[in-house]
Amino acid sequence: MNVWNWLAVGGATVVALAVVAETRRRALSSTPGRRFFRHPTAAPGMFVLAFFVTIAVAAPAVAPFPPYYQIDIARPNQPPSARHPLGTDPLSRDVWSRLAYGARLSLGIGTLAMVVAVTVGAAVGAVAGYFRRWVDVALMRLVDVALAMPRIFLLLMAVALWEHLPLWVLVLLIGLTGWFGTSRLVRAEVLSLREREFVAAARALGAGPGRVIFRHVLPNAAAPIIVSAALGIGNVMLLEAGLSFLGLGVPSPAPSWGNMIADSMPKMAVAWWSATFPGLAISLVVMALNAVGDALRDALDPRREAA
Amino acid sequence: MAVWLVRRLAASIAIVFAVVTITFFVVHLAHGSPCGPSEQRPLPADVCERQRIRFGYDRPLRVQYVKYLGALLRGDLGESLGLHRPVADALADAIPNTFTLALAALVIDFALGLALGIYQAVRERRFGDIALGNVALFVNSMPTFWLGLVLLLVFGQWLRWFPVAGMGDPVFCPQVDSPRCVADFFWHLMLPALTLGLVGAAGTARYHRAAMLEVIRQDYVRTARAKGLRERRVLLVHALRNALLPFITLFGLAFPFLLTGAVLVETVFAWPGMGRLAVSAIFQRDYPVVTGAALVTSVMVVLGNLIADVLYAIADPRIRVRDA
Amino acid sequence: MPTSRTTARLIALAALAGLVLPAGCGRRPGCTGDYCGTLVIAAPGEPDILLPPVSEFATTRDVTEQLFLKLADLGTSGNTIGDEDFRPQLAERWEWDAPTTLVFHLDPRARWQDGQAVTAGDVAFTYDAYTDTAVNSSFRTALRSIAAVTTRDSLTVVFRFRQRYPEMFYDAVYHMRILPGHLLRELPRDQWRSAAFGRAPIGDGPYRFVAWKAGERIELAADSTFFLGRPHIRRVIWRFTPDQTVAVTQLIAGDADAVEVLITPDNVKRVRGDTQLAIYPYKGAQYGYLGFNLAAPGDTTRPHPLFGDRDLRRALVMAADRERLLRNVWEDLATVPPGPMSRLWWIWDPEIRELPYDSAQAARLLTRLGWTDSDGDGIRDKDGHALAFRLLVPTSSIIRRQYGRLLQEQFRGVGVDVQLDEVDFSLFNERDRGGRFDAVLNVWTTDPTPSSGLPQTWTRAGFGRSNYGRYDNPVVDRLVDQAVAAAANREQARRAWRAAIETLNQDAPGIFLFATENFASVHKRVADVTIRPDSWLALLRTWRIPADRLTDRDRVER
Repeated sequence: MNVWNWLAVGGATVVALAVVAETRRRALSSTPGRRFFRHPTAAPGMFVLAFFVTIAVAAPAVAPFPPYYQIDIARPNQPPSARHPLGTDPLSRDVWSRLAYGARLSLGIGTLAMVVAVTVGAAVGAVAGYFRRWVDVALMRLVDVALAMPRIFLLLMAVALWEHLPLWVLVLLIGLTGWFGTSRLVRAEVLSLREREFVAAARALGAGPGRVIFRHVLPNAAAPIIVSAALGIGNVMLLEAGLSFLGLGVPSPAPSWGNMIADSMPKMAVAWWSATFPGLAISLVVMALNAVGDALRDALDPRREAA
Repeated sequence: MAVWLVRRLAASIAIVFAVVTITFFVVHLAHGSPCGPSEQRPLPADVCERQRIRFGYDRPLRVQYVKYLGALLRGDLGESLGLHRPVADALADAIPNTFTLALAALVIDFALGLALGIYQAVRERRFGDIALGNVALFVNSMPTFWLGLVLLLVFGQWLRWFPVAGMGDPVFCPQVDSPRCVADFFWHLMLPALTLGLVGAAGTARYHRAAMLEVIRQDYVRTARAKGLRERRVLLVHALRNALLPFITLFGLAFPFLLTGAVLVETVFAWPGMGRLAVSAIFQRDYPVVTGAALVTSVMVVLGNLIADVLYAIADPRIRVRDA
Repeated sequence: MPTSRTTARLIALAALAGLVLPAGCGRRPGCTGDYCGTLVIAAPGEPDILLPPVSEFATTRDVTEQLFLKLADLGTSGNTIGDEDFRPQLAERWEWDAPTTLVFHLDPRARWQDGQAVTAGDVAFTYDAYTDTAVNSSFRTALRSIAAVTTRDSLTVVFRFRQRYPEMFYDAVYHMRILPGHLLRELPRDQWRSAAFGRAPIGDGPYRFVAWKAGERIELAADSTFFLGRPHIRRVIWRFTPDQTVAVTQLIAGDADAVEVLITPDNVKRVRGDTQLAIYPYKGAQYGYLGFNLAAPGDTTRPHPLFGDRDLRRALVMAADRERLLRNVWEDLATVPPGPMSRLWWIWDPEIRELPYDSAQAARLLTRLGWTDSDGDGIRDKDGHALAFRLLVPTSSIIRRQYGRLLQEQFRGVGVDVQLDEVDFSLFNERDRGGRFDAVLNVWTTDPTPSSGLPQTWTRAGFGRSNYGRYDNPVVDRLVDQAVAAAANREQARRAWRAAIETLNQDAPGIFLFATENFASVHKRVADVTIRPDSWLALLRTWRIPADRLTDRDRVER
């Protein structure tokens, strides 16, 4: 790792700090914003997320090596040093470089799958809650059935049935197995909202169901959706790591964090660093997402003051 | 109560039935008859012949389905392709192991979670509370299998406090039939149970902390304390009783989580349970075992929820009105 | 805060109880003398079924080796030619009635463990089962030179061969383990692969079956009345572990007494650091390679779109730095073989000529073949097709997964895109056998002799056997035939083998990556450990634990 890489990492830290400071400055003018930042872990959590996003974007600058590059295969498993701050893995690849490029994949997969999950979940929940009767019954029974099977099991079956699964299908599948909880939340919210005056007024003015749902109901049910989205990204990242551990996630040599753990696992006893750092990175990001999610929940839901 | 229970039970059965139906059709549609020549995983001729007789593979799909359901009611899940034995036998070997693991994890989860929760609530916003809260949040965010690997490395390989794989010492304890072997069994159980339990306990602690705080602020606890009861007694007797309700919810939530976690943790620790069986069956395209394991898992999840609901109803009569 | 302190104390107590109890109690006197001893073998991988003709797993071989006898067995010299170096087992003696007629006289003392005598009828039955297409044993083709097996009386059995050749005795005795006809005759032949017998077998060997707990262990007990001599070690237990590293950890922790191969350099280092453990090096019977499929995947009538081209294969062979790959994976525990061979074979010769590592030459060759990177994505292409292929790898093998990832990057360096197909071992086998792959990372555990080991993978005679990549060169076939026929004359045979392998190397049907040097590790209290390289536990019944070295593990009565 050379001077420029260190400078780039420093730059990323500064950018992340600036993002947090700027957000905070703007947020403090509103009540939910103040409530958000009153949460002790909200600002650190945001910083961690901002840092890793910056690293992901700036991977070519902060990483001294390309992520696939095998530096010297006859001398693998080098411990952390100035040249390799996080050591090298059993294939003699620089762990820090892979971690930086891996942030793109891991965060990307998490975000995309979450977008799919939340979109489907919100749509199903809204439809069920708005139309009630048999639509509601049918959809919610479907959710009951889906929840009766562990998610990882559903995914494993899908992956096993379909060989050479393209990455985007995997992401889609993770998303499509992750909306059940969200749909229940949104449904409950919609059920209570649809009885409120402004919804009744919109309907009286002749707005169709689509318009009512998207223009009037969903925006007011945004709080639980946003919170479950924040928590959802973390869950997807954990899931991706688990699938990669079983050899069914992102295919080699792509550097997802889960993949990095799986690749280094057989050598954990002699080279602890190459499986430990990606694991710590996952834990840290998921923790940050949980912290931000908690703070968001408190900020957006006035009924639940922080205990 | 009786009517509610019957409705709830009927709903549970319907869910299991739906899961069975869906897995049956997904596996059979994606995979066709396991006897065909063009399959990824054609059956050995003999197994195929017996399956053909049992489930009528040459017949239309709906006839196969009915036959499958009939066999299922008799406890017959078909023949494994890779294990050379009936699926029901393989599952019967594995289920108790998963159950023990899940139970042990649950105990650690609840005991540790409750203890931490109470401690944090009492020390609210002081150093102990904040430090533990952050540690718990961190542990709760770890990939379960990774935590397992780390524990295995540290306590199994470096410190050698615990065994690295298996369920018991094969020399002294081929069966768990003496106090010594019970101890040996728990010794083997410790790391996998701890892995599953710790991740859960971190979540449980947050739950209990909040619940305890609510209770502590309630009037009757203040009253009790004012009456001069010792603090420990106040907390344990009064507060605990009210904090018990969330416990049951947690049980319903924790059970599926433990089963999911068990899939990976069993693989890490070579624990011969359902999760490991299912994972290897999925890898081997051993469809009868996959279908059987899906069925059993969903039954366990539904049962877990049902038990939680019933306990809830007993503990708090107001719940009964909830729709089934 | 008192509450949490109490809780903490309880947890600590429970943990302590778990730690102390197993070490503390249960010191009964138990077994004493020369025939005690317990051997726990840590084995990665569990047998599928304990019925020799229908299982090919290495662990199955190790277990059934103790349960079922052969007529005669290979001597420690490993010589497979003629019958001088073979040792009597089930047959106490044999003679040649004619050049192609071999007569075995069974040992009248031999008994099945249910009390029945072992008869000539059992031998004839076993031959019939091994060659039955319904049983579909993988050893069937190895027995194709035997025309008939008949009984002369209850203890005399006659083998008739189709022709005379140097290793005919080896073929008659090495592949078959004799099975109890009276227990298996009624079992329909197409149901052998799921026979209940295979989960609780009854044999005639030095050990009898005790228990099999799925996913955990198999236990055998010594048969104290075994007619060739009572085994010294009383209990043998296989403990199944997820992989070799865990097996070694159990070994070091004292939870196991033996492992077959240490495989990785760090495992060897770990075992060397332990004063309780001894390391036994022996010649490796394995070689590993990347095999190209010369036929289209799943269709043997057409050539492979890429690997049908000899020059392309040569370029890929030259692009792989086999020495450095070996350093990464094995350090000094294996050697780059000069062709398709294991260390076990006498024809091993580092002078055999092969293609050099020369990535620049490889790149030039690819360019000359018309593969250039016209769209600048780093991968060569021709007529709109990228130079890409899939490499089949079993997930169960850490070594091969590592090689797969290393090769992926080496090939990317010369502009070839490789995707890894990592699949479960059983699925890997099916795809491998069915020829449904572009390239595959194979490891062969070889027969003790090249005469049977090489043709089955690298000649036309191997079609339908283990020549999954369908390599076919009549020149090589002819040279191999000459070498096999010349087996009695070492120098002549050596020249023929060398010519055959050099021709094969020029055709580049595969990249020969490693030949293993094996290191077994066994606890030091076990004496007389002798390992026969072709089957490491073949001589287990002579291993012993001297009375003065017995530990609680050996003495305990269960």
